[in-house]
Amino acid sequence: MDGLWLIPALPLVGFLILFVTEGRLPNRVVAFIGAGSVGLSALVALFAGLDFLEQGGVPRAEHLWTWMAAGPFEVAVGLYLDGLSLVMVGVITGVGFLIHLYATGYMADEDGYSRFFAYMNLFVFAMLMLVLGDNLLTLFLGWEGVGLCSYLLIGFFHQDSANGYAARKAFVVTRVGDTFMAVGLFLLFRELGTLDIQAAMGAATLAWPDGSTLCTLIALLLLGGAVGKSAQVPLQTWLPDAMAGPTPVSALIHAATMVTAGVYLIARTHDLFLLSPDAQLAVAVVGLATLFIASFTALTQRDIKRILAYSTMSQIGYMFFALGVGAWSAAIFHLMTHAFFKALLFLSAGSVILALHHEQDIFKMGGLWRRLPVPFWCMVIGSAALAALPFTSGFYSKDIILLTSFDHESGGAWFWGLAALAAFMTSLYTARMIFIAFFGEMRTEPHDHSGVNMWLPLVILAALAIGGGWFGLAPVAAVLPDGGVDAAHHEGAIVWVTALIPIAGVLVGYLIFGGKQLSVRALVESKTGQSIARFWDGGWGFDTFYDRLVVRPFLFLARINKSDVVDFLYTGIAAFARRLNIVTVRSQTGQLRWYAANMALGLVLALLLVFLAPGA
Amino acid sequence: MQILGLILLLLGGGALAAASERLHRNAPRWLALGVIAASGLYLLAIPVGTAEQAAWIPRFGIDLILEMDGLSFAMVALTLFLGLIAIVSSWSEIDESPGFFQFNLLWTLAGVVGVFTALDLFLFFVFWEVMLVPMYFLIAIWGHEARAYAAMKFFLFTQISGLLMLFAILTLVYLHYESSGVITFAYEDLRGAEIDPTYAFLLMLGFFVAFVVKLPGVPFHTWLPDAHTQAPTAGSVILAGILLKAGAYGLLRFVVPLFPEAAWDFRWPAMFLGAASVIYGGYLAFSQSDFKRLVAYSSISHMGFVLLGVFAWNTVAVQGAVVQMVAHGFSTAALFMMAGALQQRLHTREMGQMGGLWLKAPRMGSVALFFVVASLGMPGLGNFVGEFMVLIGAFQVDVPLTIAAAIGIIVAAVYALSLMQRSFQGEPNAAVETMADFGFRELSVMILMMVALVWLGIYPETLLNLSAPVVSELGVDP
Repeated sequence: MDGLWLIPALPLVGFLILFVTEGRLPNRVVAFIGAGSVGLSALVALFAGLDFLEQGGVPRAEHLWTWMAAGPFEVAVGLYLDGLSLVMVGVITGVGFLIHLYATGYMADEDGYSRFFAYMNLFVFAMLMLVLGDNLLTLFLGWEGVGLCSYLLIGFFHQDSANGYAARKAFVVTRVGDTFMAVGLFLLFRELGTLDIQAAMGAATLAWPDGSTLCTLIALLLLGGAVGKSAQVPLQTWLPDAMAGPTPVSALIHAATMVTAGVYLIARTHDLFLLSPDAQLAVAVVGLATLFIASFTALTQRDIKRILAYSTMSQIGYMFFALGVGAWSAAIFHLMTHAFFKALLFLSAGSVILALHHEQDIFKMGGLWRRLPVPFWCMVIGSAALAALPFTSGFYSKDIILLTSFDHESGGAWFWGLAALAAFMTSLYTARMIFIAFFGEMRTEPHDHSGVNMWLPLVILAALAIGGGWFGLAPVAAVLPDGGVDAAHHEGAIVWVTALIPIAGVLVGYLIFGGKQLSVRALVESKTGQSIARFWDGGWGFDTFYDRLVVRPFLFLARINKSDVVDFLYTGIAAFARRLNIVTVRSQTGQLRWYAANMALGLVLALLLVFLAPGA
Repeated sequence: MQILGLILLLLGGGALAAASERLHRNAPRWLALGVIAASGLYLLAIPVGTAEQAAWIPRFGIDLILEMDGLSFAMVALTLFLGLIAIVSSWSEIDESPGFFQFNLLWTLAGVVGVFTALDLFLFFVFWEVMLVPMYFLIAIWGHEARAYAAMKFFLFTQISGLLMLFAILTLVYLHYESSGVITFAYEDLRGAEIDPTYAFLLMLGFFVAFVVKLPGVPFHTWLPDAHTQAPTAGSVILAGILLKAGAYGLLRFVVPLFPEAAWDFRWPAMFLGAASVIYGGYLAFSQSDFKRLVAYSSISHMGFVLLGVFAWNTVAVQGAVVQMVAHGFSTAALFMMAGALQQRLHTREMGQMGGLWLKAPRMGSVALFFVVASLGMPGLGNFVGEFMVLIGAFQVDVPLTIAAAIGIIVAAVYALSLMQRSFQGEPNAAVETMADFGFRELSVMILMMVALVWLGIYPETLLNLSAPVVSELGVDP
């Protein structure tokens, strides 16, 4: 089947219509175009996927046009569909459509309805280009495009300068990563002479020996880009602030799709990481550090969206960790299940927030389970999947990651131990969120008036959050080197321990935050407890560190040199000329004898020069 | 004599426009618009590759040699396009002697067209001056509060560096005469001149400084923020959109082909200045609180990529520099128009007195956003293509300088988004009660430039194909 280009083109057309009409269309039409274009795109993707599977999973490339060509540098705008991009396209258009549908209700009372859907459609287009691009430059087009839309949507309520700050922070921090990635592309092109992904991967495998330094360098530069986009340590600081955007944005961009782009990038270029065990280890360490740091921070947050943001960070940490330990397919599997359950969590949180008139503090919620049954049950289901309770989708994907890490030759038990501890923390903070927000006494009166366009996506996502992991993930098996998620087999006690850890976390969470049989008051109120909590709450000091190291010095430099020090050179010359003018003006006295005397003196000097000059 | 005809059309049109003021106050602008439109159509009738020659001052070997190759065509097309934009954008801005204003505008454009097509060094120099003097008047007469200072600064910088170039031209002609016995200013003849390497290096520097002042590159840039900020909108559009490109064009057309060895030896310092301009221009752009001055400094940053690209000495980077020249022409001209539109409405350029303007004028907001995004190098728009090609080409040659310039792209995001934030986003400024949004005239001009940038961003081949023969003739690839 031709017409792969239709998949990204449809949301682009949606964007163009909404952009050109400048918000003059009635909201109903806007909703129809905004959600409809993504829905159509999902349908086309579905047919493309069925066709792809029918053909036996043969990858397909679609060359659209030559983008830039000069000398040896030639890049096309081209699309490429294989098992990996198919899964991504499915998640983006499928989950994306559900979130768009939800947003038609969520954003109904906001100004800028049309602008919102324009940005959202543009985002879906860019994200699709990212995963469908058959060369790294087309991928980069999408990569930067999603960053732009993320910026636009975080700062959607632009009247509040705090939102603008969060938006710019997100853009600039990710751009730091993007620059690493761009340099990676330069280097890759210099060494291999192509940016075409399949060709470059093939050439790399032929050209470089295992452990090649060059390959490691390129892989690490790409990792730099991935780390920025996917909010991993050390470029993770923008994600919590990104929650300033409307909740559907958080669900779509900052949970289900864009932030997982880094995972996709590494999976897409896995040949480089296979050639470079050091780079692959770095991926594992980055993921582990992030999931560890974020899961502790999530435990101290009060804002429900920030809890979810940190949990997103840590779940993507799991994906990086999975890539690093060689559980390639499991990483993508977890990407997919995470998209289901995290979108569900964000959207249910959105319903709660809307019902409470934009209250986001879980300590001001409480007792909502009876009054908001749909969001409550969805939240519970999403949380169960997040905590990886058995038989939910999250369980299947996370379980493989943990078990594979146990087999890692250099990390082994350590990797498993830390990841398992973080898994425990995950279910602990998830339980805290549920018990505090939905049980106990009611602190704010909810008013739920969400229509079918809001609860239907929740129900579908809830079904996916449970059942989305039951059938594995066949299409990626042919693309990724570990042969798919079913290839991993483990036995023994480790399987049981891994499966039981989340349950233990939920139990402890219940005892502390639900039934209150366990009191942690002494711990929390002690001096050490408080300073640890503050440290975790502040995201382990990264923001402060960057503020002192980069932001303030830059602002200082900008302040002192506003009038451009280089200009002093020229104004100095001008001032000197003027001074000289003042001096020489004095000689013009208007007195005849002064002129006569000067003339005589000059004549004498001239004659002296003539006579005394050598050779005269 | 088609090319000469084009130049004469602009010169004559300028004179007519000046005279027409007596008929009606609005006659000059309509006439200027007509002249530009006619020139644009006329340009389309000139096939790429047209070359024409006529004797001028035979005694000194000075001829009227004009040639329209792909690069010239692209630059002339940009010139006329932005000339049109400049006239439309200053439609209601100019009250004082509108006839003389349009005269200066058209004469500047004529000078620029001459600069982009002349292949006789004397003729080139004449056009170089024709381009300068009317621009001086544009700034000095119709500029803002500090116009006298800015105009004088602009004039002195350009004139002194022009003098260096004149001196280099004359010496080159003399040296060529000494070795061959023929006096000629013709470009093709002088290309073959055999010159002592030391002299060649000095002559190359003479040209280089003249063009880098125009470009401008650090540390010769300080005339630009004053001139651009003080000039009337049309002046800023032409200055940033076209005149700076004359410097870049000069590097490509004269410095590299006339002195290939000397320029090759000088490539590292030149690239260094390019990367330094990228960083320093971006850094100072962020420091500014004046909308227009910020855009002016961002120009220095963007043109740094051109310098980097030209001296990276390979086809990719040079082609990138060409794309960057054109893309920057559109994006910066549009931002200067935005600055002009804001000043006309708010009577200030200080961003401290703006803020939240999106709410009052959403159309202006989204247009500003588009060009800000273009300016920070978003893929899909022209500037990205230019910058990426320059960087990927430069990387083959010098890794540290390329990385420095790539860091400049991070800085670009910082200043560009802060521009957007301080003017259009954030809490509305209480002092601004209402602000008229773009009307048909301003919007249609902006849309033209948006379309141009998108086209350049997704299908730069149109331009690359035009300039490819010229670039391959440079012989920069090993």
